[in-house]
Amino acid sequence: MDNLGIVFALFGAVLAALMSGIGSAIGVGMGGEAAAGVCTDDPSKFGKVLILQLLPGTQGIYGLLIAFITLSQIGVLGGSADISIAKGLLYLAGCLPMAFVGYWSALKQAKSAVSGISLVSKRPDQSGKAIIFAAMVETYAILALLVSILSITGIGGLNI
Amino acid sequence: MAVLQMKRISICALKKDRKPVLELLQRRGAVEVDSVLPEDSVFSHTDTSANRSVFQKNMAAATAALEVLDQYAPEKKSLFASLEGRELKTGEDYDAFAQKYNTVMETVYQITALSRSISENKSEILKLEGQLEALQPWLGLDFSMRFKGTGCTSAFIGTLPGGMDLESILTGLSQQNPQLPPIHVEVISSSQNQTCVFALCHKDGASQVEEALRAIGFAQPSNPTKHSPVQRKQELADRIAQAQAEIEQAQQKISSFAGQRADIQFSIDYFAMRSEKYEIIGELAQSKRAFVLTGYIPAKKADGLKRELEKRFDLSVDLGDCDPAGDAPVMLQNNPFSAPVEGVLESFGLPGRGEVDPCSIMSIFYYVLFGLMLSDAAYGLLMVFGCGFALLKFKNMEGGMRKTLQMFFYCGLSTAFWGFMFGSFFGDLVGVVATTFFGRPDIALGPIWFEPVKEPMRMLVFSMLMGLIHLFTGLAMKAYQYAKQKAWLDILYDVGFWYMLLIGLIVFGLSTEMLPSILQLNFILPGTVGTAGIIAAGVGAVGIILTAGRESRNPVKRILKGAYGLYGVTSYLSDVLSYSRLLALGLATGVIATVINSMGSMMGGGIGGAIVFILIFLVGHTLNLAINLLGAYVHTNRLQFVEFFGKFYEGGGRQFQPFAAHTKYYNIKEETYNG
Repeated sequence: MDNLGIVFALFGAVLAALMSGIGSAIGVGMGGEAAAGVCTDDPSKFGKVLILQLLPGTQGIYGLLIAFITLSQIGVLGGSADISIAKGLLYLAGCLPMAFVGYWSALKQAKSAVSGISLVSKRPDQSGKAIIFAAMVETYAILALLVSILSITGIGGLNI
Repeated sequence: MAVLQMKRISICALKKDRKPVLELLQRRGAVEVDSVLPEDSVFSHTDTSANRSVFQKNMAAATAALEVLDQYAPEKKSLFASLEGRELKTGEDYDAFAQKYNTVMETVYQITALSRSISENKSEILKLEGQLEALQPWLGLDFSMRFKGTGCTSAFIGTLPGGMDLESILTGLSQQNPQLPPIHVEVISSSQNQTCVFALCHKDGASQVEEALRAIGFAQPSNPTKHSPVQRKQELADRIAQAQAEIEQAQQKISSFAGQRADIQFSIDYFAMRSEKYEIIGELAQSKRAFVLTGYIPAKKADGLKRELEKRFDLSVDLGDCDPAGDAPVMLQNNPFSAPVEGVLESFGLPGRGEVDPCSIMSIFYYVLFGLMLSDAAYGLLMVFGCGFALLKFKNMEGGMRKTLQMFFYCGLSTAFWGFMFGSFFGDLVGVVATTFFGRPDIALGPIWFEPVKEPMRMLVFSMLMGLIHLFTGLAMKAYQYAKQKAWLDILYDVGFWYMLLIGLIVFGLSTEMLPSILQLNFILPGTVGTAGIIAAGVGAVGIILTAGRESRNPVKRILKGAYGLYGVTSYLSDVLSYSRLLALGLATGVIATVINSMGSMMGGGIGGAIVFILIFLVGHTLNLAINLLGAYVHTNRLQFVEFFGKFYEGGGRQFQPFAAHTKYYNIKEETYNG
C-alpha cells in the first residue's frame, strides 16, 4: 500500500494527457470537417481555415506538457519513484485543471473555430477576427496550464 | 505613426480627354473616386453597366480558357511561386495589347471551342462503349441481327430470360406446343441473365413458332444491328478511335496555345482594368463636352498629380481639405520597422475618426511579446534566416506578403534574443547532444538571464510586469489621443486618475508583507511610501467616481456611473493576469523541445543513436515550431487586440481604395512620360 503514491501521480499525468488529447482530437476533427467544406468551394482559403482548424489542437499539447513534467517530477522517466501517498494525491490534484479545462475548452473552442471558419468562407478578409474569437476560449486552457505547471513544479519541494 | 492626411480633389476636364485622363489616374492609383455631384440639367451620370458586362463576360471567357489551358498544358510553377510576385508590365504593353486584342480573343474562343469538343467526344465515347457492351453477347452471330428469313424460312433473333442451353429451350418449346413444326435453334451466347438465340423454321409454321417462343419469354433485341455484330463492333471501335484521336488532336491544339498563356493572362487583367475604368466612368458627372471627377487623394500625392494633369491636359484641378465630419478613407504610413504590423492592425480595424495610428508603439510590443512567447534562440534564428532569405531573393514580392515576412523577421530577432536570455536553443539541445554523444554532461548552453523552467514564479512576475507596461502604454496612448483633440481635462479624468489609482495600489501592495512574498520579491517598500501610495490611490478612486459618469447631468446617476467606472479596476486585474500566457506559452515551447530531445536521446550514443536522434529531432522540432509559431502569433494578436487596444482604440476607419489597376497576373507599372 505504501507504493500507492506513484500510482496516483501517474494517474494524474495520464489523465491530463488523456482528457486534453481527447478534447483536442474531437475539436480538430470538427474544425477539419468545416474547413474541408470551405475548401471544396474555394481551395485558396486553405491557409486561413487551417489556422482555425488547428486552434483547438493546443490543449492536447498542453496536456502532453503537464503529463511530461509530472512524469519527470515523479521519477517515472528515470530517477527514484519514491512518492508518498499524500504527494501522489497532490500530483493528481495538480493535473486536474489541465485535464478538465483542457477537455472542455477544446470542445468549446472547436465550436467557436467552426463558426469562425464559416465566417472566413463568407468574408475571408475578416479571418483575423475569427481567430481572435476562438483564441479567447484558449485563455482558460492557458490559465489551467499555468496552475497545473505551478502546482506540479511546486509539489516536489514540499515536505510531506 | 501616421494616418495620411487626405484631401478632396475635383478634376474638371474635357470629354475628349476622358480616356487618357482616366488611364493616367488608374495607373497612378492615387485617387479614390466617389460621386457626390447630383445630376442636373447639364451634368448627368452615364449608365455603363452594359459595357462593363461585356468586359466581365470576356474576362470570364478568358478565365475559363486559361483554366482549360492549365489543365492540358500545366504551367511549371516553382515551390515559391507565391513569393515571386507579379511580373511588371509597362503602360506601353497595355497600349500594345489593344492591337492584339482580337487575336487573343480568337485564341480564347478557340480554346473554349476545343474544350467543348473534347467533352462532347468524351461523352460520345461513353455512349459508344455502352453500345459495344450491349453487342458483346451477339458476337457469335455472323450476319445482320435484322435478318428475317429467306424465301421459304422465317428467322427469329432475340433473347430468352435466364441462362438456358439448347436442350432446355427445345423442351420448353415442345411443352408449349407439342405439335410444333420443325425448328432449328442455335444458342449464340448464354449468361446468367439472358440467352441469345437464333431460331429458324419454315415460313408456314412461323406464327406457331413465334407464339411458342414468346410464351417462353422470347424478346427481340432493342436495337438490332444492320450488319453482322462483328462488323458492327469494328465500326464502333473505329468510331471510338476516331473520337479518341479528335480528343488528342484537340488537346495538342490546346497545348500548342501554351505560348499564348501570357497574353491570355494579360487579357484578363486588361478586362479587369477596363471594367474598373467603366465603373468609374459611370460615377462621373458628364455634360456634353466636359466631365467632373471628385474623390479623395493623399495630401502628399496631391500636388504632384495636379501638376502632371495640368501639364498634359487642358483641365482644372481643385484641391480642398476634407470635411472633418466626413467619411474620409484611411491610409497608413509607417517606418520600415513598424509598417509590417499594419496588416495586423488592418485585421482589427483601421483607425476611426480622431484616433491615432498605433502601429509604431504596437510594433515594439508585438515583436517583444512574440519573442517572449516563442523564446527559443534556434527557432528565432530559423525565422530570421528563412524570412531574410525570402525577402532578399524575391525582390518583386507582393506588398502584403512582404510585410508579413518582414514582421516574422523582426519577431524572429526578438525570439532569438529572448531564447538566449532564457538559455533555450532547440530546448536543451546543446546539453543533450554533449551528454549523449560526447559524454560531456558539463557542457550546456546557460541562460544569460535565468531559466523560466527552473524559476517559473520569476518569469510569471516578469510577464505581469510586461503586461503592466503594455497596459500603461495603452493608457498613455489614450492621453495622447485626447491631447491631439485638445481635450486636456479628459486626460486627467480618464488617464490621470487611473494612473494614480493603479500605481498607488501597486506601491501600497509592495509595502505590505503579502504581495512581495507571493511574488517572491526580496524587497518591501517602506511604510511611508505605502501610505503615500494608498493616498494617491484614494484620490484617484474618488476622482474616477466623480468623473467617470460625467456625460450624465443627473448627479445620482453620475455618481452611480462613476462607481461602475471604478469597478473597471477589476478588469485591470484580469488584464494583467492575462499576460501569464507569456510564461505558459514560453514554457510550452521549451518543455516540448526538451521532450523531443530526450526522446531522441533514448537510443543512446553511437551511429544508430545519432540517426534516430536526427530523425526525431527533425520531425519533432518542425512540429513544435509550427504549433508554437501559430500559438505565439494568435496570442500576441490577442494581447494587442484585447488588452492593449481595449484601453484606447476602437478602429472602424474605412480603407483607402483608390481607382487603380487591380490586376491578378501582371503589375501594370506607371509609365513615365517625359513630356
